[in-house]
Amino acid sequence: MELHLNRVDYMQVGVTSQKTMRLLPALGKKAMQKVAVADHDGVLTCFGMKKGEPVPVFKTLPGQKLSRLDLGGAPGTAQEKIFVCSGSEVRGFTKKGKQFLTFEANLTESITAMRVSGADLFVCASYIYNHYCDCKDQNYFLSGDKINDITCVTSPHLPRPAPVLACQDRLLRVLQGSDLLYNVQLPGPPSVLELYNKDGGKSTPGESRCEDVLYGTADGKIGLLKIGETSAVSQWEIDNHKKKGGVRCIDTYDIIGDGVSDLLIGRDDGSVEVYGFDGSGEPTLRFEHMLSESVTSIQGGCVGKESYDEVITATYTGWVTGLTTEPQKAEAGPGDELRMSKETQTKVSALRLELEQLQGRVLQGRERYQQTAQSSTAVSAVPVFSINDKFTLCQDDASYSLTLEVQTPIDNLLLQSDVPIDLLDVDKNSAVVSFSECDSEQPNGNFLLATYRCQANTTRLELKVRSIEGQYGTLQAYITPRLQPKTCQLRRYPIKPLSLHQRTHSLQQDRPMNRLSLVGQFSLAEIHSWVVFCLPEVPEKPPVGDTVTLHFLNTFLGTQLEATYCKGEGHFRSDNISTISILSDVLSKEATQRKVNLNVSYDINDESVSHTLRMIHPQLEEQLLLAKKVQLIDALKELQVHEGTADFLIPEYRSILDQSQHLLDEYKKQPAHLERLYGMITDLYIDKFKFKGQNVKSKVSSLLEILDNYDLQSLLAFFSEA
Amino acid sequence: MLVPIFTLKLNHKINPCMVTVGRFDGVHPCLTAATQAGKVFIHNPHARGQRPVAHRLSQSTQDSDISLLNINQAVSCLTAGSLGPNTTGDTLLVGSQTNLLAYDVHDNADVFYREVTDGANAIVLGRLGDIQSPLAIIGGNCAIQGFDYQGKDQFWTVTGDNVRSLVLCDFTGDGKNELLVGSEDFDIRVFREDELVSEMAENETVTSLCHMHGSRFGYALANGTVGVYDRSARYWRIKSKNHAMSIHAFDLNGDGVVELITGWSNGKIDARSDRTGEVIFKDNFSSSVAGVVQGDYRMDGQVQLICTSTEGEVRGYLPASKELKGNLMECSVEQDLVRELSQRRQNLLLELRNYEENSKGVSETDCEVGVIPANTQLQTALSVRSGAEGQKAHVELSISTPNETIIRSVLIFAEGVFEGESHVVHPSTQNLSGCVRVPIVPPKDIPVDLHIKAFVGGKTSTQFHVFEITRQLPRFSMYVMGVDPLVTPPCGRVVMWLNQNFLLPEGTSSPDVTFTSLRGEGGLLSISMASSGQITLSTDDVDLAGDLIQSLASFLAIEDLSAEVDFPDYFKGLRTTLTEVDEFHSVHQKLTAAIADHSNSIRNMLVQAEDARLMGDMVTMKKRYRELYDLNRDLVTEYKIRSNNHNALLARLNVNTLFKIMKAGASSSSS
Repeated sequence: MELHLNRVDYMQVGVTSQKTMRLLPALGKKAMQKVAVADHDGVLTCFGMKKGEPVPVFKTLPGQKLSRLDLGGAPGTAQEKIFVCSGSEVRGFTKKGKQFLTFEANLTESITAMRVSGADLFVCASYIYNHYCDCKDQNYFLSGDKINDITCVTSPHLPRPAPVLACQDRLLRVLQGSDLLYNVQLPGPPSVLELYNKDGGKSTPGESRCEDVLYGTADGKIGLLKIGETSAVSQWEIDNHKKKGGVRCIDTYDIIGDGVSDLLIGRDDGSVEVYGFDGSGEPTLRFEHMLSESVTSIQGGCVGKESYDEVITATYTGWVTGLTTEPQKAEAGPGDELRMSKETQTKVSALRLELEQLQGRVLQGRERYQQTAQSSTAVSAVPVFSINDKFTLCQDDASYSLTLEVQTPIDNLLLQSDVPIDLLDVDKNSAVVSFSECDSEQPNGNFLLATYRCQANTTRLELKVRSIEGQYGTLQAYITPRLQPKTCQLRRYPIKPLSLHQRTHSLQQDRPMNRLSLVGQFSLAEIHSWVVFCLPEVPEKPPVGDTVTLHFLNTFLGTQLEATYCKGEGHFRSDNISTISILSDVLSKEATQRKVNLNVSYDINDESVSHTLRMIHPQLEEQLLLAKKVQLIDALKELQVHEGTADFLIPEYRSILDQSQHLLDEYKKQPAHLERLYGMITDLYIDKFKFKGQNVKSKVSSLLEILDNYDLQSLLAFFSEA
Repeated sequence: MLVPIFTLKLNHKINPCMVTVGRFDGVHPCLTAATQAGKVFIHNPHARGQRPVAHRLSQSTQDSDISLLNINQAVSCLTAGSLGPNTTGDTLLVGSQTNLLAYDVHDNADVFYREVTDGANAIVLGRLGDIQSPLAIIGGNCAIQGFDYQGKDQFWTVTGDNVRSLVLCDFTGDGKNELLVGSEDFDIRVFREDELVSEMAENETVTSLCHMHGSRFGYALANGTVGVYDRSARYWRIKSKNHAMSIHAFDLNGDGVVELITGWSNGKIDARSDRTGEVIFKDNFSSSVAGVVQGDYRMDGQVQLICTSTEGEVRGYLPASKELKGNLMECSVEQDLVRELSQRRQNLLLELRNYEENSKGVSETDCEVGVIPANTQLQTALSVRSGAEGQKAHVELSISTPNETIIRSVLIFAEGVFEGESHVVHPSTQNLSGCVRVPIVPPKDIPVDLHIKAFVGGKTSTQFHVFEITRQLPRFSMYVMGVDPLVTPPCGRVVMWLNQNFLLPEGTSSPDVTFTSLRGEGGLLSISMASSGQITLSTDDVDLAGDLIQSLASFLAIEDLSAEVDFPDYFKGLRTTLTEVDEFHSVHQKLTAAIADHSNSIRNMLVQAEDARLMGDMVTMKKRYRELYDLNRDLVTEYKIRSNNHNALLARLNVNTLFKIMKAGASSSSS
């Protein structure tokens, strides 16, 4: 079944946050719905469409940035009350725009996620979860890591509705009251939660069964969980093989019209996807569309024209756009002014008029601004523009991806780094890169200076950065948008010493481990801050409890690290000796800087080195084989052309020819993979003997020789030598 | 939305830029392209299986429509067209690093086979100037040669560097074709037969040229720039991070004017309006584009645009029909217009907000925002610095703020001065100050616009004001003025020229000056003017002399200038080079003779060894093969010697010297 959706732009508001647009329930069947959208200017806009023109129902006055929007209402009635939050305040509006509620949650931090259900209000502010009923404080929970989203499941198995928190440390925390019921591990940091069958609760609220929760992760995976009494069962999961952006919003709606709710997904790279379900209940991609900026909210409904279903999205820069099932008028002769529909004509002329007036006002403003340049007392201060940025570790290729999004087109971007990093090309971005020479010996300490000159209308940039473990510092980005008066904003991204590690929640216990122990006069907060400095994905706030245990996985090699620390004591266990070596270097340096005396002791397990080498072995062998095969492809092809046939070749070579495309793709996917493996093996070698007090740098060349004629046994023998 | 009308997968790789379409039998167009292993394939779907297999040609076993032509050498360029006066079909011309082959595909016969010592990097076929017969013109290492259908060398000239692209185009509008040459020294030169008419300086190797219409032509550079020139004036250009593999002129939207079609290294094809460079159509291949050509491939009287990728994918596009009204892309113009207007409105609103917020005033303490005094103005100055210890001689650009604000970073965008298109200065946090000095070493004597962006703010700011300034770097900025000249009566215009083109200390009013070059060993340059209006330039650098004369003449708007040049050093150098070249040639001949000997003995030994094998005499066979092996090793060594010799010869032969003298002469006589 083919699905064709046509794009219609409805309206533009200010910059929007995640989940800030909802459709108000329809009054009748197939009637047109109103859209409520909240933006960073603090304006809540509610509008409907009439003859292709947006007609505002109401619009609130500008104020503090609105971070979330949800709909609510008394159980059993239409959910048409609009709730928005800004700072730590929640306000409620009727569908006519009358404010009926102002509630100050009295939180120290701004609310980042909110859910309204009947008289219950659930709010989350970074680490804190709060439950209010009729504006009275009911429950409270302090999460171990930042909370990204919240939803609420009801199930006959559970005595009360159970809030589910999506936390940055790859966990869903299912609560009961103020207590943690259980954790659910996810393959990536969850960024959004949605109930799968939210309509189920409408008819009989008392026995509603909303126990299926959809989640989307920041690394682009989507999955469905059944939340049970003591544990959750995963129903299915969609991997992110195509390396699309992170999931920002999910909705379910039957847009295909087969009676089954389809999945609507909005991602931060601008892609909108519709998944349908086949007979076996497995989701399959039915439709995909690329918007040019990240999608912040998505919902299915009917807005533009009666009885035509559509997918409504809101994007970062505030565009409310519909992807409608209504067929596009084919005869509209574009480029032909005469045939442009009347509606558009009036729209365009109105816009032009507005533009003219604006232009005049801007000119005045510009003049006044220039006049101030004459005065010696006046200052020039340009307000901060909003940047939507993300710097995340991609598990698949163990590299960081940096995405930047600005409301106005970007003019140029300057990247500066004080650590050696590789900047990789991303096909999607069209900006012209230029690397500038930098003398790392000079006191300026620049290891990377690169400019990206963007093509017109680029509001979003995506870059890939490859770091080396053990070398740490800061990556700085200066973003200059095309906006007068010209300003640029600086964003800093730390490259941590163990930059390729990610949080995990389980470890294999049977591996041979090395241990690093620290004893000294330091507080829990101090050692926690050191761990934050060394490792990514660690919350800045020390977790509750006297002893903290964190688990990490090296995304490149698959080795693991366990950090256990409390006041005055810290233990780090890893099967990778290089990890231990880096940790010990960085931690002692940090402690010395803060004048803390540390007692460092090691417990090195020689087994671990050969264990790590064995772990690398399959990867290395595969990569070497791949490299060898790829090297042969061209020569074999030439032979094939020369002889006119490939039949005379041995089967091995013939299979290389047959799979050549696949091999090349595979090779392209992981650039410099082999070099990185070599680098890590070399580090391993140096670190092994460092702990023995030997300097083996002179032997590295013979190690590389062995690697060039790789064989696991000879490598193991070389490591155990000396 | 324009879609391909045919798509083919040829299963043969295609070498970039080596694709053409020829009607070898005078009727059926055949896509012809160079592929791996020194072969050329000819795709002829029209006359299936009629071709006899003989001589160089063999049928591909994979695909019956494809015939393979064995060149046995890496092909470096190819084209097809009518060369002879009374042949029915097109002639295929294939150039390699040593030879040019003209081949009649229809008759399976060589038309001619010529050795070309300078190689053939680019080839073009057509009429040039007043020369009667069409010529196959090839460009190699500094040399350009034109051959007629008999293989006679009808045209020869030299240019500045390796030729990378050639095109014939009526540049001057006199009804006769001129030859446009793009070379690795970043220049596009125009030759009316062998006379250099015009020269356009670009900032990268010119990889492709194509004729659009009239005197208009498209060009592509190695750094990803494509653009259009009308005579010597550039109409537009754009730069991409990808490389343009092939450019072609084709009227895709059916408006009667050709568009510039560009095939990119990432597999993208786009069509741009010849006037504005606006994209009117684009499509994507899965691998890099190899070539873009045109031809009536379906034999239905309509010419198609044919795009090929390096993996052998071929797509043909018909020009858009009237119904599409020039709109070849999927999106609707209406929506785009509304979107664009809304985006503009949004930008204006934001700008307005900036001014409003600014006039409200912000507390001085909020240094995050980067508050700066409103009267902050940046001062820039250019000066010449001679080399000192640890630092090479350079032109220094100093940028400073008048108050306590600091310059966080400076970005300079300029072409042809830096390695990339930009240069960044980013001092560390400890070394932040209100003054930044940027050393610049322009590699060539061309005037350059420096687009400077300076980030100004406070020490701890996260937002900075961006100051944008454009400064021009004078053409001859790499020359530092020597001894203070005597003050003589100012001779207005020449001094003005000096001031515009050199970085002079304040208050220089005499046209008699001496400069030292900051490049290389620091050659001297002195300019003096006699009262009669005679100007004497003395320098050891021929290039510089030519540039100076051209620049001065164009500044003074002199149509006719008599100039005398004398370069004693160069002529001496040339003479020695010529004798050296003779020596190399004799060595070369000796080596060739030796190789001929060797190949004879190889033949003998092989026959003997095989005989021995057939007769079962394994001992002799082994012996023979061992000998053969030894001989092979000798041959390899000899080959190395030969190639070294050849390289040395090429280095000497670099016609550059000769060309420079010619150019200097030409520029002085033409200007």
